[in-house]
Amino acid sequence: MMGECLRLSSMRIYAKLLKRMKVTVVSRSGREFIKGGLELHDLATVADLQEAIHKRTKKFYPSRQRLTLPVPSGSKVRPVVLSYKKSLKDYCDENQNNITVVFKDLGPQVSYRTLFFFEYLGPLILYPIFYYFPVYKFFGYEGERVIHPVQIYALYYWCFHYFKRIMETFFVHRFSHATSPLSNVFRNCAYYWTFGSYIAYYVNHPLYTPVSDLQMKIGFGFGLVCQLANFYCHIILKNLRSPDGSGGYQIPRGFLFNIVTCANYTTEIYQWLGFNIATQSVAGYVFLVVATSIMTNWALAKHRHLKKLFDGKEGRPKYPHRWVILPPFL
Amino acid sequence: MASFLTALRRLYLSIYNWTIFIGWFQVLFLALKTLKESDHEHVYNAVEKPLLLAQSAAVLEILHGLVGLVRSPISSTLPQIGSRLYLTWGILWSFPEIRTHILVTSLVISWSITEIIRYSFFGMKEAFGFAPSWHLWLRYSTFLVLYPTGISSEVGLIYFALPYIKASNKYCIRMPNKWNFSFDYFYAAILTLGTYVPGSPHMYRYMLGQRKRALSKSKKE
Repeated sequence: MMGECLRLSSMRIYAKLLKRMKVTVVSRSGREFIKGGLELHDLATVADLQEAIHKRTKKFYPSRQRLTLPVPSGSKVRPVVLSYKKSLKDYCDENQNNITVVFKDLGPQVSYRTLFFFEYLGPLILYPIFYYFPVYKFFGYEGERVIHPVQIYALYYWCFHYFKRIMETFFVHRFSHATSPLSNVFRNCAYYWTFGSYIAYYVNHPLYTPVSDLQMKIGFGFGLVCQLANFYCHIILKNLRSPDGSGGYQIPRGFLFNIVTCANYTTEIYQWLGFNIATQSVAGYVFLVVATSIMTNWALAKHRHLKKLFDGKEGRPKYPHRWVILPPFL
Repeated sequence: MASFLTALRRLYLSIYNWTIFIGWFQVLFLALKTLKESDHEHVYNAVEKPLLLAQSAAVLEILHGLVGLVRSPISSTLPQIGSRLYLTWGILWSFPEIRTHILVTSLVISWSITEIIRYSFFGMKEAFGFAPSWHLWLRYSTFLVLYPTGISSEVGLIYFALPYIKASNKYCIRMPNKWNFSFDYFYAAILTLGTYVPGSPHMYRYMLGQRKRALSKSKKE
C-alpha cells in the first residue's frame, strides 16, 4: 500500500518534470531580449533560468542579471524581483505554463569580499608608508624626524583596525548579496584610500603636535573598547543569518542591539572618535563626520525597513522601540 | 493668506531679479565704455563695485532654493555660484596683479551678458507672469557660446594667477599647530583647476538638457 502511494507520487513528479514551461525574456524597453524565449522544465527555479540565460547570452553571468516581473507601463509600483531560490512556478499566474520576465543588466560584478578586501587594503598599506618612508622629503621637509609615542600607537591602532576589518570580511560577514557592481570598486577605493592618505599625512607629519599623555590614553583606550564591542556586534549579526546567505531580516537582539538598531555602526563611529581624541587632527575629524553621515544614512534605511517589516500585524513581532544609531541624538 | 504670500513672493523676487539685472547691466556698460575709451587693463577697476555687489548677492539664490522660494535644485546652483564667488573674491579681488589680464575682459563680458539675459528673464516672469519666446530662446541658447568663453576665462585666470598666489602665501595655514591642520591656497587652486575637467562638460551637458526641455516645452504650448 505504501509502496503503491510512493510509486504514484514519484510518477506525478516525473510527469511534472516532463512538462515544460515557456519563459519570455524581455528588456525594460519591452523588446524581446532572448529570441524565441526559453523552455525550462516545470520545477525549474529562478537560478535555473539565470543559468539558461547565461548559456544563451554568454556575457551575462547570473550575478549580473536582475530579473523582475513586468509592471504595466506608467505604474508607480516597484517591480517584483525574482529571488534565485524560488521556483518559477511561484511567480506564474494560476495554472499558467508560461511567464514573462524583464531583464536588466547590472553591469560587471565583483564579489563583496573582493570589494571589501581592496578598499581596506589601501589604508592598511598607505598609512605605514607615511610612517616608515621618508615621504615628507618630497613635500620639502628635510632633516630628521622625531617620532612621538602617540604616532607609534596610532600606527598600531590604525593597522589593527583595518586588519580586523579584512579578517571579518573573510571569516565573519555573511552577505545578503553575493556581488556588487564593479564601479563601486573605484568609488569605494577612492574614498578609503584618499582619506587614509589624508589622515596618515597629518598624523605622521614631522611637525605633528601631540596631545597630552592622558588624552592619548583615554582616546586609544576608549577606541579599543569600542573596536572590541564592534567585533562582538558583528558576531551577533553574523548569527542572524544562515550560512547559505538566504538573506531575510530578523530583529537583532542582545548586547547593544537591545537599545540601538545599528549598534555595529555606533561602535564603529565611537571607535573613530577614540582615535581622533588621541591623535587630534582636522583630517581625522573630517573623516569621522563624513563616515558618520554615510553610516547614519544606512542606519535610517535599515531602521525604517525593520520597522516596516515587523509591524506587529498578522502574527509578526513588532519591532521594539530603539535608538537608530547614536543615542541620545538619533 | 496663501495668495497674499504668493503675491509677496512675486514682489520680492521681482525686486530681487530686476535689481541684480541693473547691477550686471552696469558691469557690461562700464566694461564696454572702458574698452572704448582706454584699454582692457582698466576694465576691472571700472567694473569692480557693481561686479562685487551683483555677484555676491547671488548667495541669496542659495537661500531661495533652500527655503523653497524657487524651484532650482541647489545641487546645480551651488557649484555655479561657488565658482563665480571663487573667481570674484578668491582670485580677482585677492590678487591685484591679475586684474590687468585680458581674460578679465572676456570673463566679465561673458558673465554679464549671461546674467543680463537670465535676471531679466526671471524678472519678467515674476513681475509680468510671462516672457516672450525670443527671450526664452536667448536664455537657453547664449550659453552655447558664453559657457566656453566664460569657463576658458575662469580657468585661464586661475592658471595665470598661480605665481602670485604662491608668492603671496595668502590664506595659508601652516604647521605646527595644535589641530595638526594645514592649508595651502596654491595647491587648493591647482585642485580647483582639476575640478574644471569633469565639472565643465557636466555643466554644459546639464544646460543642453535644460535647453532641450525648455524649448520643446514651449513648442508644445
